[in-house]
This record gives sequence, C-alpha cells and structure tokens, in this order.
Amino acid sequence: MRGQKYIFLLPGLLVLLAIILFPLLFTIRVSLSAWGVSQPGLNWIGIENYVGVLRDQRFWQAMVRLGFLAVGTVIIEYVLGFSMALLVWRDIRFRRVFRVLFLVPMMTTPVIMAVIWRTIFHESLGPANDLLGRIGIAPVPWLTNETMAMVSVMIVEIWLWTPFMFLLLLSGLLSQPREPFLAAAIDGAGPVRTFFNVTFPLMAPISVSALVIRLIEASKIMETVYVLTSGGPGTATETASYYIYIRGLRDFEIGYASSLSITYLIIMIVALTIIAKVLVRTMIGKQA
Amino acid sequence: MLAVTLNAENLSVSLDGTVHLDHVDFTLARGRLYTVIGRTLAGKSTLLRVIAGLLEPDSGRITLDKRQFSGLPVWRRDVAMVYQQFINYPHLSVLDNVAFPLRRRGTPKHEARRRAGELLMRVGLEGFETRRPSQLSGGQQQRVALARALAKQAGILLLDEPLVNLDYKLREQFREEFRGLFAGQADMIVVYTTTEIGEAMMLGHEILVLHEGRLLQMGRPADVFERPASTTVAEIVNDPPMNLLDGHIADNTLHFSSGMGATLPLHMVALPPGRYRFGIRANDLEMRPDGAIGGEVIVAEVSGSETFLHLDTAIGPLAVKCEGIHPLALRTQVRLALEPERLFAFSPEGGLVAAP
Amino acid sequence: MPGLYRTLKYAAVLLWSAFVVAPLLWALTTSFKTINGVTGGATYIPWLDYKPSLEGWRELFNTSGTGVNIGQPFIDSAIVTLGASAISLVLGTLAAYGLSRFTYRAGFIRNRDIVFFFISQRIMPPIVLAIPFFLMLKFLGLLDSIPGLILVYIALLLPIAVWVMVDFFNNVPREIDEMAMLDGCTPIGAFIRVVLPNSLPGVVVAGLFCIIFGWNDFFFAFTLTFTRTQLLPVAIVALNSTVTPWWSLSASSLISVAPLVVVAFLVEKFLSRGTLAGAIR
Repeated sequence: MRGQKYIFLLPGLLVLLAIILFPLLFTIRVSLSAWGVSQPGLNWIGIENYVGVLRDQRFWQAMVRLGFLAVGTVIIEYVLGFSMALLVWRDIRFRRVFRVLFLVPMMTTPVIMAVIWRTIFHESLGPANDLLGRIGIAPVPWLTNETMAMVSVMIVEIWLWTPFMFLLLLSGLLSQPREPFLAAAIDGAGPVRTFFNVTFPLMAPISVSALVIRLIEASKIMETVYVLTSGGPGTATETASYYIYIRGLRDFEIGYASSLSITYLIIMIVALTIIAKVLVRTMIGKQA
Repeated sequence: MLAVTLNAENLSVSLDGTVHLDHVDFTLARGRLYTVIGRTLAGKSTLLRVIAGLLEPDSGRITLDKRQFSGLPVWRRDVAMVYQQFINYPHLSVLDNVAFPLRRRGTPKHEARRRAGELLMRVGLEGFETRRPSQLSGGQQQRVALARALAKQAGILLLDEPLVNLDYKLREQFREEFRGLFAGQADMIVVYTTTEIGEAMMLGHEILVLHEGRLLQMGRPADVFERPASTTVAEIVNDPPMNLLDGHIADNTLHFSSGMGATLPLHMVALPPGRYRFGIRANDLEMRPDGAIGGEVIVAEVSGSETFLHLDTAIGPLAVKCEGIHPLALRTQVRLALEPERLFAFSPEGGLVAAP
Repeated sequence: MPGLYRTLKYAAVLLWSAFVVAPLLWALTTSFKTINGVTGGATYIPWLDYKPSLEGWRELFNTSGTGVNIGQPFIDSAIVTLGASAISLVLGTLAAYGLSRFTYRAGFIRNRDIVFFFISQRIMPPIVLAIPFFLMLKFLGLLDSIPGLILVYIALLLPIAVWVMVDFFNNVPREIDEMAMLDGCTPIGAFIRVVLPNSLPGVVVAGLFCIIFGWNDFFFAFTLTFTRTQLLPVAIVALNSTVTPWWSLSASSLISVAPLVVVAFLVEKFLSRGTLAGAIR
C-alpha cells in the first residue's frame, strides 16, 4: 500500500514538473543574461534587465491595459453569463437548444474566430458598419481608432468566453437543491427578491471560482489582439503578453523578454491571489 | 480444522490528534461471534478498519494463528466486511456484485455466478440478480453487501453497525436472520459492532465494551450485564444508562449523599465503610404510592408498552423505566420504591466492588 | 405583468442567440462568395445579394501550389489534440485519484499543495513558456514535429484533467475502493475495476475539456512549428496575412470549428444531466 500510492501520483507529477519547471528555471536564468541577436547565448549581467523593466513605460502601460481589459471583460462576461444561465435554467421552451447554442463560441478556435471578426469589423466591406449604416449610423473605425480598437477586442473576448462563464454558472444552478427556492416561493418572494436573497447567495462560491478561473485565462489575452489589431493602432491595444511576444520572439531580445516574462508572471500571481481573497471575502464571507 | 485465533496486542491508533484506540488487547476464536458495543466514536469502526488492514495501527500488532497479520496489505488479508452505509459496486448487477470477490480469487465466471446465486438465495434475494444496487431498497442493498461478504468465505467477517441505517422493523428481522446465517459458519470469526446493547447481547457469544478507544471489558453477555466492570460499562450496557448515585457506607447503613439512608443489602455487608458510587438499573426502580423516595417528573416518554421517566428526586436525578403506559404530566409528584438488594456498588474510581 | 416578463425573457435569449450565431452565419455566407461578392461591400443572402460559388470550398482541398490545402493541417491537429488529450487524461486521472485517496507528504508539502501545483499551471502565460519550450524542443530535436507539440500540449492539458478529476473522485465514496481491496483487488486493480467504471462521466468531461483547449490552441502551434508540421489554426491564420481570400478563409474556419460543435452537444448533455456539477467547480 505504501509504495503503490506513488504509482498514481508520480507519473503525472514528474511529467508536469519536467515540462514546466525546467522552462521556468531556465527563463529565470535567461532573464539574467543579455541574450539577443548581437549576443546569442547565456552570459551574466545580473539584474540589469530588471532595472530596464522597471523603467519600461510601454510594458507598464501594457500591464495596466491588460488589467483593465481582463477585469472589464470578465465582469461583463459574468453579468451576461449569469443572466443567460438564469434565463435557460428552467421555465423556458427549447432550453436545451439554447444551452447548446450558448456553448458554441467556447468550442471555436479563438484565433480563427478573431479572423472572422476582423472581416466583420472591416470598415468598408464588413457587415458591422453596413448594418449600422442601414439604421443611419456613420461608419465606425472599429480597428483603427484607439478607443474603438479596445472595444472591438473586448467584444470578441466577450463573444468567445461568456459561454465558459455560462457553463460554470449553469452547472452550478442545476446542482442547487430545490428547497430554498420552494421556500422563497411559499414566502411569496418575486423573481428579483428570490435572486438576491436565495439564488445569488447560494451561487456565491461557484461565482467566485468562475470569476477567478476566467480572470486567470483573461490575464493571458494576446491571440485576439494579435489577429485583430496587432496591438495597434500604435500601442493602443497592446497587452503584456503581446508586448513580450514582440520583444522576445519578433525582435529576438530573449534575455530582456525573459525578465519581462518573470515580472509579468509574478505580478499575475500576486494580483490574482489578492483578487481571489477579496472575492472570497466579499462574496462568501458575508454570510459566514 | 485450523485453530483460528486472532490475537491483538497493545493496539493504538491516533488520527489527527484524537485517540481512536488506546492499548487494546484481545484474543478472538474461530466459530464465535463477537459484538463490540460502544457509543458513537468509541473506536469501533477504527478497530474493524485496523483488523481489515485499511488502517495501520500506530503501535501494537495483530496475529492470526500466531502469524503476523498487521503488516499484510488489505487485499491479501482473509477478511470480509460489511459497512453501515450500503456499499455495493454501482456499475455491476446484483449477481456480479456477489460474484466479484470470487472472481478476484480466480473462480471461473460460471462457477462464481452459480455460487453467487446460491448466496443471494440464502439472503432472500432470488429474483433480483439482474438488478442494479441502486434499484433496490436500503435493506435489500445491505443484503447484497452481506452476500458479497459471505461469498469471500473469509476467516474473519467484520460488520460495522450493519443495521444502523435501517428502520426498526427491518432491524428486528435482520437480527433474527443473522443468528441463522452465522450459526453455520463454524470456521469464521465474526466481529459485529453496534451501539445497541440489546443487539449486542442477543447476537454475541461474547461482548467487547469499547469506550474512548479503550477496551473496558470483554466477556459473555450475561457476565458483562450482571457484573459490569466499572460505572462506564454499567452505563454503556444498560439502556437507559444505569443510574449512578454518590454515597457512603457507615455503621452498617447505606447513605446517599442527599442524606437519605437505606438498609445495607446482603451483598454489600462485606464492604468496608467508606465512599462508594451506587448503581441501579432504570427498570429496577418502581413507582409505588408507598415508595420512600419523592420525586418530580422532568421528562416522560411513552414508547410501546413501556414508559421512560426522568425524575428529579430526593436522592438525585433518576431515569426510570416501567411497564405499562403512564401518561404523566410535567412536574407531577411521584413516589419511587428502591430495592437496596438491586443496587450495584462501585469504588469512587468507578470499579465494581459488589453486584446483586 | 407576467406576460411582459415572459416577452422580455424570450427577447433577451433570442438577442443573445443572434449575437452568438452572427459571426458563424457571416462566415457561412462568406464562404460561398467570390471576389465580387466581397469587394462590393457587405452582402448576406446568396442568389439575392450575390452569386454563390463553391470556389472557397474547392480551394481548401486543392493540393496544387495555388490552393490552400488544409487537409494535412487538419490531420496533424487531430493527431496532436487526441494524442495529448489521451496522455493527459491517463496521467491526470491517475494523479487525481491518488490525490483524492492517499496522503502524500514531502517536507511541508501536502496533498492540497500538490493539487494547487497542478491547477496553478493554468496561470502560466503561454508567452512565458514559449522561449524555453522553443529551446527545449530544439535540444530534444523535436522542434517543428508532432511529438514535440504533443509534449508541450500535455503541459497545457494535464492541469485541466487533474482539475476536473480530483473533484470527481472526491465525490465517489472511498468505501467502494476499500471494498474492492477487501474483495482482493490491489489499489491499481480497485482503481481500474471499480473506481474508473463509476467515474466514466467525469473522464468524458475531462476528455472533452482537454480536446477543446487542445484543438483551439494557437500560440504554441504558431511558435514551435515552421514548415514540416502545421496545425490547422496556424494554417488558417496564415491566410489572413495574404491578399485576404475571405471565401476560403471562411470555409476553412467553418471546417475547423465544425468538429467541436459536436462537443457542444455532448457538453450540454452532461450539463443537463447534472454530471458537470460534481466535476467542475
């Protein structure tokens, strides 16, 4: 018994350690070197890169932008996903058809759908401006105006990922016991009161996990940006990941990009931990 | 025939800082049924899990026929078990559930199924072979579990409060059947845990009294009942628990701490003067208008043809069990007769010194 | 009032449905267009707005130099996704079972820390791993190859498999595996004969999640392959940078998306049956 238990855990653990830990440690080492086009290979320059990172305004702007983008889209996804989950939870015809439909975007490949969205947002040939034009609204510079480019990225992210939020929340709703809702109905509570007094508190733990899971995924946003705007116009939609991609894999400043990566990773871990704690306290703690 | 004896020495188990078994020793012999009585969390399940090998003891050892048993992995032990939850394999039919242990021992499929069918007949489940466990009632599910445990034909059969989740009627029925089922298992050691003293006395050849991880007493049901080794045992093996009253013996008289006295019964005459704790069973107290002890009703529960009363009396709180239905209102004044000949005497530390 | 409420409810559901299907319908109609149907401005209904053609679809399987040919990338994508999902599922299920049943400790590390280690890998941004993965695969000689991609995808999918399965196994009563061991099974035997058959829905759910995230990955496929191996998303996005042939772009997108729409039906089935509730939290 003693030895047998390791047969279960070790293969998976060792594989993951090998695949993840090596790259991570290696990245840390590379971040302390000047590896680049003119200096290919490992040398030792100490924390020089990190000093550069601290002064790198473009990186910090990208981080702030990412924070705004991630938190903004996840909140909207949560509101929309929860609404849709409540609507197709019960008492609606064809609910299973709607459920399948609402899940579809999650199954699609984000980059590919971003390409399709790019054609939709095309200023002169895309349907977005065409349809707006038919109701008398002037063409919108979807991908070329700084604000609108952010909005476009957000629309695509919301289209892609609201289904995941929907899935987590609906599965939570479907696993709730019937009794609290019956009790609320017997007390004569209307839909709004039932939601705030019964549904929302019962769903708080699931809501917290759903929000955290989505924030983790959203903190990596880059593929949609890459396809839709390439970070533009200018750097208006550049996220942290995308900026690191440019410095590392396009300009081949491996050493510097690695120190950006490590900084990014640490900030993400710290920020997500704090957000998770705050969410748990505000959404679940109140009833405890 | 093998002289199967299961010997436990100095078994101790602690889990997360709680003591579950505290230096337990015993020897169990084949062909006998042992009931382990104790309250919830007394360590009963832990004891069975240690015997089964599902839990390694912190110290001590178990031997079977003088051969080391405790180091052996579960799957090589000659042990079968029935849980208080109705545990069966949900994905297998009833027949395949019972055949499962036989198949694991290499019995050919056909033969395993034939024997499983026989066992199902013995536990009264013929006709249910192709059902899934989830399609059966609780009692039927427990019958499947029982048949599967018997199918293994293990030297040791452990039953962990097998009836606790069944309703009263079914429990009665099962108890009757158990006698017949186990009577034929002359080579088997059966260990059966329960919280109900009636069940323990009715089924067990011997009773083990377990309390807070310690084995307080082991012996024939009548011996344990008639001569409980300590106040704790006396409380556990009586339902409701034996009434215990502080007092002392002086000048050949028995004094309760409330000040009331009584003639010293014959079986206590030899006791030296001093402080004692006196015990009296709830059904040895009698309500009589001419009773010497006055009291007031705190709780009255009528159950079937008996009445349980909790009284606040001149000599302290007492539980009384009497024949017939006495619908007494709260705060009713009653009088009790206490027969000193029925009193047990324990030392202040709790050990038995005199029994009626 | 109830009538109004009902109307609003259906209106909201239908509006969201329209938003969800719009890009897919747009891709569908565009896939039948020719250059004339695209450059004249947005058109929607075939025959009425534009003259439909199958050119976009034909291009996809045109293996001559001018064609798009997504056949091979499709097969490569399927091999990588299924291969990595299968390996992740086996390793993840075993690890999750171990973590739900046994206690492991090494120094201050306990089971929950190990579970957290597995799941926390999802935090790792792909870009952080891309450079070392590149060098690692180069060192192993697996750059631009299917085995190399499978290796990398295991890192992405294993955490998902563990995440789904740990909760699932925690909900399977442990008395069942104890019983199996009492009946003569070794721990591995108990796992295979008793626990696994009773956890199939969880395994399927974990498998579906692996397939979704594997099939839809772009970044690693993009940074770790060049000429020999090309996965579907990379092949399709490559069309984006040329003189955008919207028709074949749309057609290939639909082909790429289609297999997983089947998965949507399966996921919904598990969702409505309540199987997901225990599996994802």
